[in-house]
Amino acid sequence: MNNPVKSLRQTSERYKAMDGKDRRGFIVDTVLNNAIYIILIVFVIFTYTRNPNIVSGSSIINIISLTAANLPMALGIGGCIVLTGTDLSAGRTVGLTAAISATLLQSLTTTNKFYDNLGEVPLLLVLLIALLVGGLVGLVNGFFVARFQLHPFIVTLATQLIVYGICLLYYMSHDNNGQSISGLSDTYKNAITGSVISKLTGGALVIPNYVIYAVIVLLIMWFIWNKTTFGKNMFAVGSNAEAANVSGVNVFFTTMMVHTLAGITYGYTGFIEAARIGSNTANTGLNYESDAIAACVIGGVSFVGGTGTIGGVVLGVFLLRIIFVGLNFLSVSGNMQYIIKGAIILLACSIDMRKYLTRK
Amino acid sequence: MKKILALILALAMVFCLAACGGSSDDGGSSSSGTSSGSSTSEAESSTGSDSEDEGGDSGEATEGGDVDYSDLNVGIFWYSFSDTFLSTVRASLDDLLDEAGITYTDYDGNGSQTTQNESITTALTNGCNLLLVNLVESGSEDAAQSIIEEAAGYGVNVIFYNRTIEADGNEGALLNAYDNVGFLGTDAPEAGHIQGQMIGEYLVANYDSLDLNGDGVISYAMMKGQEGNAEAIYRTQYGVEDANAVLVEAGYPELEYFDSSNTALYQVDANGAWSASAATEFMQTNLSQYSEANGNMIELVICNNDDMAAGVVTALQAAGYNNGEGTTTIPVFGVDATDTAKELIANGYMTGTVSQSNTGYAYGLKFMIDQLASGATPTEAAAALAEDTSDYTFTLAEDIACKVYMAYSSYTGE
Repeated sequence: MNNPVKSLRQTSERYKAMDGKDRRGFIVDTVLNNAIYIILIVFVIFTYTRNPNIVSGSSIINIISLTAANLPMALGIGGCIVLTGTDLSAGRTVGLTAAISATLLQSLTTTNKFYDNLGEVPLLLVLLIALLVGGLVGLVNGFFVARFQLHPFIVTLATQLIVYGICLLYYMSHDNNGQSISGLSDTYKNAITGSVISKLTGGALVIPNYVIYAVIVLLIMWFIWNKTTFGKNMFAVGSNAEAANVSGVNVFFTTMMVHTLAGITYGYTGFIEAARIGSNTANTGLNYESDAIAACVIGGVSFVGGTGTIGGVVLGVFLLRIIFVGLNFLSVSGNMQYIIKGAIILLACSIDMRKYLTRK
Repeated sequence: MKKILALILALAMVFCLAACGGSSDDGGSSSSGTSSGSSTSEAESSTGSDSEDEGGDSGEATEGGDVDYSDLNVGIFWYSFSDTFLSTVRASLDDLLDEAGITYTDYDGNGSQTTQNESITTALTNGCNLLLVNLVESGSEDAAQSIIEEAAGYGVNVIFYNRTIEADGNEGALLNAYDNVGFLGTDAPEAGHIQGQMIGEYLVANYDSLDLNGDGVISYAMMKGQEGNAEAIYRTQYGVEDANAVLVEAGYPELEYFDSSNTALYQVDANGAWSASAATEFMQTNLSQYSEANGNMIELVICNNDDMAAGVVTALQAAGYNNGEGTTTIPVFGVDATDTAKELIANGYMTGTVSQSNTGYAYGLKFMIDQLASGATPTEAAAALAEDTSDYTFTLAEDIACKVYMAYSSYTGE
C-alpha cells in the first residue's frame, strides 16, 4: 500500500512542474477519472439540502443494509465481467435458491407447509444446499463457456431460462400450486434479519445480521481476488486468455471456477433474500442481475476484461442504492429513476473506456 | 479427463431436471389425454339441472355428463406463470379439465403481450378450437381486438378471463361488437371498493389507537403493483377514496399520504411485478425516515396485492413493528387472500385482504367450456353461468350480455 500523503505530495510536485496546457488537461483528467465519486458527493449534498433525513442514523443504516443485500451477488458477477463475460442467470438462480431455502426453513407451525413432514433443518445445512445449487448452476455456466468457447451472454441466457423453468415447477409441486412461500422459522429470520449489534449496543445501532455476513463475504472475495493464485489467474485470463494460456495458466479451470464462484454468491444471496423479503414467489430475484452488472460497471469493472477492484464493486453497489434511497427521499417518481440510472451507467462506461483508450 | 467431467455435468443436469419434474404432478404446460367418455366432476352434475339460460334453447348444454369433448382442443393463455394467485387458478382449472378428460394446453405469456400473441397464432394454426385468454396488457383494447379477430378468422370462440380487456369508460366496445367473445372476471374497481370500505370501517372502529402521534389524522402509505394496469389503478384510487368516504361519514378527517412532497401518492414496483421485494425495499426506506420515535410514523399501509402486503409486513417486523404482543401493529391491507396473507392475518401481523376465489374462477371457466362445447354461443354461456347457483356468485355485467363478474369478498380472518 502506498502512503497516501506521500503520493499526494508527489502528485502536487508533478502538477507544479507542468505548463498551462498540461495543467488544464491534468485537471480535466482528474475530474473525469473521479467523476463517479463527484456525482455521489454532489447527489448526497443535493438530497441533503432538500431532505436532511438522508444523513440521519437510521437512513445510513438503511443504505448500508440495502448495499449489503446486493453486494455479494455483484461481487460474483464482477468476476465474470473481469473475464469479459457477464451472467444473466444470476437473478433466477437467486429465485431458485431462495425458494429452496424458504421451503426447507418454514416454521413447524405454519399452516402452508411445503414439505409437510419436514422437521427442523439446521440453518448451516440449508445454507450449504443453497450454495451447492447456486454453485452447480455456475459450474454448468462455466463449463459451457470454457469447453465450447461460447459467449457467456448466450450460455447464461440459456441457463437463466432453464433455472426459471425449474423454479416454476418447484413452486407448482407439492400441492403448493404457485403460492408464495412464507411462514419462515424464527431461528432463520432472526439469524438473517435480527440484529446482534443491536443487542450488543443496547438497541442503539439496529444493523441487521446480514450486513455482518456481507462484510465476511466481502473479505473472502477480497482475499480471493487479491491474494490467491486463482485471483491473479482470473485477471490474467481476463486481460488476454491466449497469453495466459501460453504462460501456463489453466484457462479452462479458471473460467469454470470464476463462474462457479459467482454461482455460489447467488446461492448465498438466495439464502439471505428468502428471509429478508419473507415472502417468496417465482418472481423473487427478477432482474437482480441487471442491477449487479450495472453496479460492477459503475465501479470500474470493465467489460474490456482484466480490470476491476473489489472496492470499485462496493462503490458501484453503494452508488446505486444511494440513488434509490435518495430519489425516494426526494419523492421522485420511479420513472425518473430509470432515466437517472441509465444516464449514470452510460456515463460510467464512457469514462471507463476513455481511460482504456488513453492508455492504449 | 474433460470428457469425464462433461459426462458428469450432463448427468447432473439431467438428474436435476428429472428430480424437479418428478416432484410436480401438475406443473408447467401439460396436455391431458383425450378420453371423451369419462365422467365429469361432481360440481358439474349437481348444478346442471337447475341452470336455465334466457334463450331457453341451449339448456341441455349444462348436462355436463353428456358433453362430447372429443373434438375440443382448448388453449389457455396465462399472462404469467409466476403470478401467485393465477397459479392457484391454473392448478384448480387443470384438475377440473384433467378430470373431464378435455384436451388442453397451458401457455405462459411471461409478462409479454407479444409472446402471448405468438402463442395464440401458433395454437390456432395447430388446431386449437377454443381460446381462454388472460390478457397480458390489461385494459388494452388493441391487443384484445387483434386476438378476437384472429380467432374469428378460424371460427373460434375466445373467453377472456381475470384481466380486463376494455379501457375505463369504454366498456362494451369489444364485448358487444363481436359474437365470438365472452368474459369472466372480477369487476376491476370492486376490489378497490371492498378494500377501501374494509379499511374505513377498521379505522373508524379503532381510530384513537391507530392514530399513533395523536394529531387526529391517519397517515398512510400505498404500494402500487404496476403502472398502467387497470386493476392496479382502481385499487390505488378506491382503496383510499372509499376509506375516506367512510371516515368522513363517521366525522373523521380524510387519510393523509405520509410523504407530503410525493404528489403521486403511491410507490410503484419499478419492474411492474407486484412483488414483495419491491414493497420491502420501499417500506424499509420509508421506515428509515418515518418512525414512532420521530412522531411521524406511517399509520396504515394499503397494498395492491398480498405479495406486496407480505413484503411490507417483513419490513415492519424488521423495524420492530407488527411482531405480536408488546409491539405496535400497523394495519396492512392487501388483495387476493393468498395462503401467506391468510396466515399473516391469523397471526395478527396483517389486518385484512380482499378475497377472490381461485376455485370459483376454475369452476366458472370449466362451466363456460362445457357450454361452448355443446354448441352455446359465448353470450348464452355467460347467461347460463350467471344463473348458476353453486357456491360462487356470478353476475352479468350491466349492458354487456357476455361479461360475467365473479364476486369479491373482504377477508379479515376466520
